[in-house]
Amino acid sequence: MLALSEIAVKRPKKIMWLAAMLSIFFILGVAAPSLFPKQVSILPPLTVDTDPENMLSADEPVRIFHNERKKEYSLYDMIVVGVINKKDPNGVFNPQSLKNIYDLGEYARKITWEDKDGQQEGVISTEIISPSNVDNIEQAGLGTVRFEWLMKEPPKTKEDALGIYKKAANLPFLNNTLVSGDGKAIALYIPITSKNISYTVANKLREKIATFKGNDEYHITGLPVAQDTFGVEMFIQMAISAPLAMLLIFLLMWYFFKSIKLIIAPMIVAMVSVIVTMGALIMTGNTVHIMSSMIPVFIMPIAVLDAVHILSDFFDMYPRFKDRRKTLDHVMKELSKPMLFTSLTTAAGFGSLASTPIPPVQIFGLFIAFGVAMAWLFTVTLVPAYIMLMNEKSLEGFGMTRHEDETRPSSPLARLLHATGPFTYTHARSILLVMMILFGISIYGISKIQINDNPVKWFAQGHEIRIADKELNARFAGTYMAYLELSPKENINIQFQKALRRALEQNTTPQAQTLKEKLPELGTDINTLKDFISTQQDKAKNDDDYYAWDDIATLIDQIYGRFEIFKQPDMLRYIEKLQAYMLKTGLVGKSNALPDMVKTVYRELLLGKEDAFRIPDTQNAVAQTLMTYQNSHRPNDLWHFTTPSYDKTVLWIQLKSGDNKDMNKVVAAVDDFLKENPAPIALNHNWFGLTYINTVWQDKMVSGMMEAFLGSFIIVLVMMIVLFRSLLWGVLSMVPLTITIAFIYGIIGLIGKDYDMPVAVLSSLSLGLAVDYSIHFLARSREAAKKCANWKETIPVVFGEPARAIARNVIVIGIGFTPLLFAPLVPYKTVGFFISAILLFAGIATLLILPAMMTLFEKFLFKRKDIS
Amino acid sequence: MMKKLLLSAALSITMMSTSPAWALDVSEIVAKANHVSYYQGEDGRARVKMEITDKQGRKRTRDLTILRKDIGNDDKEQKFYVYFNRPADVSKTVFLVWKHVGKDDDRWMYLPALDLVKRIAASDERTSFVGSDFFYEDISGRNPVEDKHELVKETDNYYIVKSTPKDPDLVEFSYYKSYIHKTTFIPVKMEYFDKSGKLYREGAAEAVETIDGHPTVIKGTMKDLKTGSQTTLTYSNVQYDIKVPEDIFTERYLRQPPMEYIKR
Repeated sequence: MLALSEIAVKRPKKIMWLAAMLSIFFILGVAAPSLFPKQVSILPPLTVDTDPENMLSADEPVRIFHNERKKEYSLYDMIVVGVINKKDPNGVFNPQSLKNIYDLGEYARKITWEDKDGQQEGVISTEIISPSNVDNIEQAGLGTVRFEWLMKEPPKTKEDALGIYKKAANLPFLNNTLVSGDGKAIALYIPITSKNISYTVANKLREKIATFKGNDEYHITGLPVAQDTFGVEMFIQMAISAPLAMLLIFLLMWYFFKSIKLIIAPMIVAMVSVIVTMGALIMTGNTVHIMSSMIPVFIMPIAVLDAVHILSDFFDMYPRFKDRRKTLDHVMKELSKPMLFTSLTTAAGFGSLASTPIPPVQIFGLFIAFGVAMAWLFTVTLVPAYIMLMNEKSLEGFGMTRHEDETRPSSPLARLLHATGPFTYTHARSILLVMMILFGISIYGISKIQINDNPVKWFAQGHEIRIADKELNARFAGTYMAYLELSPKENINIQFQKALRRALEQNTTPQAQTLKEKLPELGTDINTLKDFISTQQDKAKNDDDYYAWDDIATLIDQIYGRFEIFKQPDMLRYIEKLQAYMLKTGLVGKSNALPDMVKTVYRELLLGKEDAFRIPDTQNAVAQTLMTYQNSHRPNDLWHFTTPSYDKTVLWIQLKSGDNKDMNKVVAAVDDFLKENPAPIALNHNWFGLTYINTVWQDKMVSGMMEAFLGSFIIVLVMMIVLFRSLLWGVLSMVPLTITIAFIYGIIGLIGKDYDMPVAVLSSLSLGLAVDYSIHFLARSREAAKKCANWKETIPVVFGEPARAIARNVIVIGIGFTPLLFAPLVPYKTVGFFISAILLFAGIATLLILPAMMTLFEKFLFKRKDIS
Repeated sequence: MMKKLLLSAALSITMMSTSPAWALDVSEIVAKANHVSYYQGEDGRARVKMEITDKQGRKRTRDLTILRKDIGNDDKEQKFYVYFNRPADVSKTVFLVWKHVGKDDDRWMYLPALDLVKRIAASDERTSFVGSDFFYEDISGRNPVEDKHELVKETDNYYIVKSTPKDPDLVEFSYYKSYIHKTTFIPVKMEYFDKSGKLYREGAAEAVETIDGHPTVIKGTMKDLKTGSQTTLTYSNVQYDIKVPEDIFTERYLRQPPMEYIKR
């Protein structure tokens, strides 16, 4: 018996107390800083993190770029409020609905507060996109152009209400974004200072909406809201799934072992393991992420796994010894090695996740590995200690009656297994043939796998966020936003300096010469140059000097203008072409960019004629058009699309689908376009926005998971070879799980289920769990074979108690994960379903394929063995 | 004149309890401030450097020349001719404003690259002036009769006047406070409060110089506290009474800028 178990058997009470103290320590360690953060400031409080962005570490280049550009172009995370009216023939374009929308828009402006540090938080009122907060530009009589608030006040009449739609529909920026293409719905975009407050803001909006009369439907969505909602549901999941898993495992064990007193032991093991693992997770300052929130549900079945082996064996053996100490000795001797190895392989499987480039997955893997180690420790100590503390009397009548008679098993499970054994011997070839066929089909299925994910689809169908997503994307150009930045390949500053130097060399005025000499000192910043000229003008001796400097300033400006490349008509037309191309692919609902602004204003300057909806012919005309635009209420909207130096531009791309595969198609299509149609000035292009970021972490996830899986496969294989001290046995032990994993992924490919985040994690998860059955089966077979003449005679022994232990395990653990199916969030369901499927299939594969192979390869496997 | 004003201010303090005198004084203070800000001399010219600095510290500059002519001596009607020198690509663009009292202003712009004269409907004067943090109304002046004024405080140097719009639906502020310098009557600071009573916009006279006997703001700023953007106007070559003819301020001169008046 293991030394640890020895101690536990000798001092059972102390061991139990130790475990209790440990649990209390971790519970307090988490509870104290979470409930009293001020008093217990040395310990980190429980922090929930539901931000999919955090699937990438904070210093990931794409995230840094994303955050920099968001700042540069004043782009914010937005809450989208869609308003639909299915009763009114004009949709929401009626006075009552618009009054509500007006009130909501005005109310939203006031949702601001100061945080602890006096920073303004809440809605960014100046950037709201709502009918009362955006400008309409239109003709106002002959030769007159007008900027006015689109809906300064709610309209009084039906006609005026419809007028709001007509005005907005005429503006490309608003059409299909603020107002729906069918003219029935409105969407408000409410920017917020940070994603973390979206739940608070959304709730305030909901309160206001609750006061509205009429039959409008309000749908609140947007990635920030989805994330916050996810956080709430994550806790529901943890609150429901974990206890439910506990209950189910308890009931199953009760069914198998018929003794509540005995099965309390594995429950204690599970509980203590979960408490210690989660305690350690939180106390080390890790956030509870979507991945780590699943840790309890994973630890629990794994923790009871070994305990079930002990109990199962104890259950079968007790009647033989009629003495718990002796039974324990026997059981622990038999199980110590396989339990250690199964724990090690499970830990290795999960631990391999640490090599993925996704921080939450790393944490998840490492802490489950830690939890598995804890579960092993508590199993080999607490279970024996618990048994020793039991009243010997209560064990009376316990265990399998008539156990000696293995030839006539009593339970249905035992009978089934009893029949399976000989079947694998007689039908070994057929079993392997079926296996090969299934394997072939699986490989085909795997080739069909679609890599795809979409955080909004993490919510179950019918969830309000999914409904909002569906309703809004059916009416608008798309609620998923991605941004494409175009910037010149060559350094603009260097080119500007060269051009300026050349121009000054050609200019013979003394002022030009003065500036030329000063140039190295002044650098290339246009404002520094202009400031220098201003000072020269202030010092001017006379008007001639003054105006000579004025001419120089204008000259600099002209040269600089040549490098304000996104004011140039041919560049704008190029972007226009790219936009048209993107729209034609059908992947993009709409794109907004600088050309749309220029064209709209230009059209209104030219009497609103449709044929004037084009890019004007000169850079000056573009500049003057844009300056006209800046006479509106929201001049700064321009800087959402370009920089004040016009050296970069951003296209806003609205997608109807947030599926990574769709985003990837857009990225590929744009790559193609840019390659085949070089811009007049060579451009770099870079994507950002949450929809794009999701694809980046998905790529990392896919390749990272593949590496993690291969890594752990090799590690486990090596462990198996060491355990069995045989290459052949080691390889054999890997067969069932290899077939299982191939089979499950084959099914995923065949049924067209997306290979998403939870599916990606499955391979490594199942590797560590599924190999357990092989270890137990092979180790016990080898032991049993020592006492039998040949494999045929060994089979009935192996398909007695060892097979039953494996089968019980499959059932307990397999069913133990099913509570995840009741979670309101899809990733949990996926994991629950497939883990159960994998375990079930791995169990079956172990009990069929291994004996069949051992039948066929008996000569090689047992060749050097003395048959006693 | 100045003495008389000081006297009346002193009087108003002694007569604080009998408030009718207050109302009179406030309107007088406001009228003086309005005059100093927009109506000094019968006409004028200034070269203006407009520098817009956004929250990120990015700067944009525009260089313009403003001509002004008063119509009549009652501090009411006046005309502005705003000519863009730079940026080069908007050079020769002109804004023409006929400021009216009691009705909407007339505004035109001339876009040389489009060779287009366009009227701008002036129903709302609180839109940005060419992308800056100043509104049209800040450039041409808000008519004092549109607000109710109230002297809320008097310090050693300033009258602090609170102005509340008579028609709150026409503007985005709920009221503004002006800090009017007692001797020059220059509003040194303007604070605008939004509908929830929060300060969100701040104007200031940063530098004042006496030119041709007129105290003149030569540097003014406007900050938008919500966007974090700020605009500075620096005036140079300020001249009064240059005798600019009224017909300069007509559509005819939009296409042919009167360079003899625009240049100094």
